[in-house]
Amino acid sequence: MSITNSAPASATLVALEPERAPPDTGVIISARGALRSLAFGAPLHPILVHYTISLTSASLLFDLLGRLLHARGLAAAAWWTLALGVIATVATLATGVASRLGLDIGEGEARSYLRLHMALGPTFFGMLSATAIWRARLWQAGREVGWWYLAALAVTVAVMTAQGYSGGELVYRWGANVQGRYRDLRQRHASAPPPRLPGAVSNRAPLREGAR
Amino acid sequence: MTSFLGWSGFQWIDVLAGIMSVLVMVDAFIGHYRSGFAVRAQYLPFASGVAVLISSVLTMLAPRQGWVLQSLLITGGIAVVAGVIGAGYHHYFGITSKPGGYGWLLHHVMYHAPPLAPLALSAVGALAMIAAKGLAGSRGVFGIPLRLAALCVVAATLLGAALQAATLHYRGAFNNPLMYAPLTTPVLAAAAILGLIITRAHWVLLAVAVLCWATLLVGFVGLGMHLRGFDRMMGGLRVALPNILEGPAMTAPALFAGFAAAGLATLYLL
Repeated sequence: MSITNSAPASATLVALEPERAPPDTGVIISARGALRSLAFGAPLHPILVHYTISLTSASLLFDLLGRLLHARGLAAAAWWTLALGVIATVATLATGVASRLGLDIGEGEARSYLRLHMALGPTFFGMLSATAIWRARLWQAGREVGWWYLAALAVTVAVMTAQGYSGGELVYRWGANVQGRYRDLRQRHASAPPPRLPGAVSNRAPLREGAR
Repeated sequence: MTSFLGWSGFQWIDVLAGIMSVLVMVDAFIGHYRSGFAVRAQYLPFASGVAVLISSVLTMLAPRQGWVLQSLLITGGIAVVAGVIGAGYHHYFGITSKPGGYGWLLHHVMYHAPPLAPLALSAVGALAMIAAKGLAGSRGVFGIPLRLAALCVVAATLLGAALQAATLHYRGAFNNPLMYAPLTTPVLAAAAILGLIITRAHWVLLAVAVLCWATLLVGFVGLGMHLRGFDRMMGGLRVALPNILEGPAMTAPALFAGFAAAGLATLYLL
């Protein structure tokens, strides 16, 4: 019988080091631990961007269909989705800045994407606000939207797409605010390759073997 | 007078004054924190700005209450005076008392207290006063019609902000072509507003509207570029405090957007 598996040895260890906290294994075993593990700054941004994207895109689609079909209900839906999109985008911007404050990212290609993402965010919000004011005036006057308005909103959606693409690159190619969130990786050096998760199958290895 | 989303033009100007008081206070705090609040008067913009903000919020909630409008008028007036006093302080401590004095004028205006920045608080206060007077039913302030007064405040502020941006972007060596933007569109918008005041021609009105919309967008683009500017520095916003203290002015570009919006509210709603 080894010493490490014996009950008296464990008891001695506890008795010798009563001040030491139990080791953090990364496994959550209580509701309090689950609540403590929540970090609201970063994870909210990727949630809220979907509201901005969906509401703004839906507004363009509703207005386009409303214009083509002369459907007043679709036009009203377009105004309300755009108004909600502006409100959602305020929260999206705030959580985006909060995400950046906690993101440890060195100089390089990923940082260039990040800078583009940061510059485009308020630019998109300005365009969205301007088109929302324009749309509100049309809605207030009970007028149908014109092609100039639709073109302006389409340009705004195009900027939003570029913004979403740069954000997607940051997360899915560079792992921004993803890798750092794994509790198991807390002692990993930033330049080290990411460790494989237990039981996970790498996508790359079978492909390379197949190619040979 | 027309309304927009249920609010009159003066109510929108009040909202903009409240928002811009926050923007002014953010940049004032960064600058004054950087200098360590060495002079007690450096707390003045916060006392004045918070007073304008509270009055502005109260006016949003109760735009017909006499005492609320009176408080907005008084706090707006205090902000105007506080901004002028601040400009005097910035001039003395930023230029006159510095080694070399006026002989090193360009260096001092680039690297020390921004000489025109406190006047943004005055402009916000002036907008608050105009909103208070308009909501109280007055037709003018100091004998000037309210619409004309609002346009003059917007034009003067855009010119001043462009001059301040020119100084600081010159310090930044115009390292990005977009740094020329605040020297073009807002200046043209201010010139067009002055042209509108003089000529009142329809095509000038159209030009003012287009240029104010463009200035509003320039403000948001500037906000994004300043965020990008923080991230060009070592560590970016991950090392937030030192980079925000030493980087570009955080909320200054948004003031272009705010005053352009005030110009548009004046054009369309007053």
